[in-house]
Amino acid sequence: MKVDLTVNGSQHAVDVADNALLSDVLRETLGLTGTHIGCDTSQCGACTVHLNGRSVKACTVLAGQADGGDVTTIEGIANGDELHPMQVAFRANHALQCGFCTPGMIMSAIDLVQSANEPLSAEEVREGLEGNFCRCTGYHNIVRAVLDAQANM
Amino acid sequence: MNAETGIGASVLRKEDARFITGKGQYTDDISVFGQTHCVFVRSPHARAKINSINTDAAMAVDGVIRVFTGSELVEDGIGDLPCGWVVTSKDGSPMIAPPHPPIATAVVNYVGEPYAFVVAETLQAARDGAEAVEADFEILEAVVETATASSSAQIHENAPNNQAYDWELGDKEATDAAFANADHVTTLDITNNRLIPNAIEPRAALGSFDAASSTYTLYTTSQNPHVERVVLALFVNVAPEANLRVISPDVGGGFGSKIFVYAEETAVIWASAKVGRPIKWRADRTESFLADAHGRDHVTKAELALSSDGEMLGLRVKTIANMGAYLSTFSSSVPTYLYGTLMAGQYKTPAIYVETQAVFTNTAPVDAYRGAGRPEATYVVERVVETAARELNMDPVELRRKNFIPPDAFPYQTPVALEYDTGNYGASMSMALDLADSDGYAARKATSEANGKLRGRGYSCYIEACGIAPSQLVISLGAGVGLFESAEVRVDVSGSVTVMTGSHSHGQGHETTFAQLVSDRLGIPFESVNVIHGDTGRSDYGLGTYGSRSIAVGGSAIDRALDKIIAKGKKIAAHMFETTDDQVEFAEGQFSYAGSNEPKPFAEIAGAAYIPAVYPLDELEPGLSEKAFYDPQNFTYPAGSYVCEVEIDPSTGVTEIQKFVAVDDFGNVINPMIVEGQVHGGLAQGIGQALLEHGIYDADGNLSTGSYMDYAMPRAADLPDFEVDMTSTPCTHNPLGVKGCGEAGAIGSPAAVMNAITDALGVKDVPMPATPHTVWETIQQGA
Amino acid sequence: MEESGEFVIPASPQEVWDALQKPDILKECIDGCEEMTITDDGVFACVVAIKVGPVKARFTGTVSIVEPNPPHSYFLDVSARGGGAGFGSGRAEVKLQEVAEGTCLTYHVKGTIGGKLAQIGTRLFQSFSRKMTRTFFDRFSHRWMG
Repeated sequence: MKVDLTVNGSQHAVDVADNALLSDVLRETLGLTGTHIGCDTSQCGACTVHLNGRSVKACTVLAGQADGGDVTTIEGIANGDELHPMQVAFRANHALQCGFCTPGMIMSAIDLVQSANEPLSAEEVREGLEGNFCRCTGYHNIVRAVLDAQANM
Repeated sequence: MNAETGIGASVLRKEDARFITGKGQYTDDISVFGQTHCVFVRSPHARAKINSINTDAAMAVDGVIRVFTGSELVEDGIGDLPCGWVVTSKDGSPMIAPPHPPIATAVVNYVGEPYAFVVAETLQAARDGAEAVEADFEILEAVVETATASSSAQIHENAPNNQAYDWELGDKEATDAAFANADHVTTLDITNNRLIPNAIEPRAALGSFDAASSTYTLYTTSQNPHVERVVLALFVNVAPEANLRVISPDVGGGFGSKIFVYAEETAVIWASAKVGRPIKWRADRTESFLADAHGRDHVTKAELALSSDGEMLGLRVKTIANMGAYLSTFSSSVPTYLYGTLMAGQYKTPAIYVETQAVFTNTAPVDAYRGAGRPEATYVVERVVETAARELNMDPVELRRKNFIPPDAFPYQTPVALEYDTGNYGASMSMALDLADSDGYAARKATSEANGKLRGRGYSCYIEACGIAPSQLVISLGAGVGLFESAEVRVDVSGSVTVMTGSHSHGQGHETTFAQLVSDRLGIPFESVNVIHGDTGRSDYGLGTYGSRSIAVGGSAIDRALDKIIAKGKKIAAHMFETTDDQVEFAEGQFSYAGSNEPKPFAEIAGAAYIPAVYPLDELEPGLSEKAFYDPQNFTYPAGSYVCEVEIDPSTGVTEIQKFVAVDDFGNVINPMIVEGQVHGGLAQGIGQALLEHGIYDADGNLSTGSYMDYAMPRAADLPDFEVDMTSTPCTHNPLGVKGCGEAGAIGSPAAVMNAITDALGVKDVPMPATPHTVWETIQQGA
Repeated sequence: MEESGEFVIPASPQEVWDALQKPDILKECIDGCEEMTITDDGVFACVVAIKVGPVKARFTGTVSIVEPNPPHSYFLDVSARGGGAGFGSGRAEVKLQEVAEGTCLTYHVKGTIGGKLAQIGTRLFQSFSRKMTRTFFDRFSHRWMG
């Protein structure tokens, strides 16, 4: 089937199998390998991207479901050389080690902060990131980074 | 030195630039022209005889290129996956290592063991092909339980009683005598729960064969690509070592599980030549659960002999360690030399005797997982010490202080083989008590009680042996490899520096830490140092990263190479100053000579080395590039004091960690930010073990916890903020005075949490993980 | 894995017994049953499509009647394979007893499952098998109801 996608501002018309996942299209067809695959049950969150402004797990969205949609991946959140405040905060707070969960974690965290009506507490950040696993950091510095980024977003 | 980027500075990491922008290159991100895909066909049975395998239907699937079974590898001369450490039993006999073909041929011995694999044009076709492979199995009785394995059906023909070895350490007679003279004996029966490592990046491999050069290239998720290469070449017989290049690109976490040589990369690299095209494989998470080596899984009886006033007189430990179905790469060393040797802990217990019986079961192989043996040892020592304090009505802090090896007793020879070089355990304990607001505990407990909650506090004073390891010592104990590390420091013509290390970073931040070390010692900008790792085609034979060894062994190797660079730089500078090299000083990036007021910056000497105009070439070779292989003289001994406070809701059994303080002594620290991050991660895994994680097989050997829906991974909301600080007694035997920090958190924390929970509940033991259900049941039993 | 239960069917034990031997009736009553045949030696062969949580597969199975004591009791030996999805096997003891409303059928199953079913479906399997059994007897009983 033919699927039209806007990914990180560029338009793509891709021909995909009916059962192709959005994560497959991003990684295999478009070469955007920053979106990672860490599980097969939609638990780990390493594949989180934004679809029409909200975070989704790209391994759980069929490419066809995203037809006509606007997708943003980790490769698309910086403004040219200027990093997104969440990217800056992750580095500044040592909120990543192996880096594998990081793209999904950053994409989830951006949506979490953007959809909050009021500034989030540390506890709310912890609850809000329940869909993303990190095995390296113990989340301690991730929570700090999100709180830090929140002030600059 | 530069205060912002030198040793001791919390420099932000170089590698983050690619990871936060999605530019990291993990194995599965790499694709090569003509690549095919591979899916493994795995046993659904815990133990069965393979009567026949029919691959016809699989071959008929559109897009399937080849289907391989284990016998084809055997016919091609592919050997078994070896275990690289031969442990000797009490009776002097070597351990029993059953045959472990990469792809099962005659029998399968755990659910998930591969017995065939399908190579196809697409991943989908490979999956369809794998589903179409038909095998006729004769199901045999499965052995699952650790405690009863030795009296169950025999799994391997050459292993009676399902025993791999029965090992001992320490002086049995002296220990028995200590017990005979004791006023009090504390006995504890405990289990150390099976864990599944779960690096978030699943294992993966991309193998290709270049017929023109007869060279194989394997990209894989390995913590030690050189070890992978030598095992594949020397034991598995894939190709001569020189014709095999192993690259570990960015690796998404390891925690031990990526040390080992597994079936999948073996099959992929071998088959790439048969198929004549590159082959890629990436584990699904379920495959990771089934076929990554698991961790822990001990059943232990511990007895501590004490005098009436709390002096520890003797310790007796008897452990049954579950090895799973086969002996994985370093599995045999984990419940022995990385376990029994740590039973002195931080204490001057004079007599210790440890026995470990290693048994086979029809479960996934068990091998090193973050801490590897040392968390199990700490759990035994710190749980039994805390229990003894309660039984003697002593403050657990005072009992520990009374028995700590005092700071003036180092070097200290323990009764279990190790010689600790340095430490100050009381200092860490004092700092931990301050941070934990020990004085305010009574008030907090009263508040909890007023709210209908149970509050408890637990301590854990761990020690670990890191910086693994002195080669000749471990080889004499059965290791099949040396455990030094390699480094090459290549000074570029312009004065920038390229460092090749045998250590491997899969989250540890070596590109930053090692660059700090080099920049600090050479006085050159941090940005001018480029650290290369993970490629057997680029760096010398090295042993990789595990056992908290990177800075202590790999860093020391770099330091040694830097000594050589500076020595040669002095020789070149001496010619420029027209003096002798012993008259040349090097500091802060400048070569200087008392007889000259024009010091030579490092970059100028680098240029002079490669544009050799000023020195005689018959005396001094051109260039400035040096190598070092550093072999440690001893292990390093990080140690620390952890304090945990929990609050339990008796109506639900939910445990909340309200305070977790970790004070560690890692000796000198290069980058405190990175070190703290390592501690955080270790604590999360240790707390995960204590409260959440458990790899469970049912009675038939099915893994009941085979996905993230069933295996409780710690999430952000499950964990507290950590309070982390450090004391320092620098290591006395390596040039940097460093000890290593990667495993401490996972080693020290389970005992602290469980001591707090048992304190809150007023019981002797609660099995890990202390899930709400387990805790609630414990409360009900007491009521 | 073990499970027991009982159902009351508005028909005589002999009628129930006879119906339980008929492949077409069994096919109609087993949810997802695509094929049901009986071989010359009295073994039922069937193909059933099932979905347990994330595991969806077509199972090929055989059911043999052991120790028949018409119309009172028999044992069923069941073995089923679902390719990559897993396998199952077990023995069910079935008893028929005449009661005022018709026949009370009691069963007791002891079995094992393996493969993906066991790894990611264990928690879901019990409720799945209960639902499958209930559906069977609802449909089966329906034959004798208005």
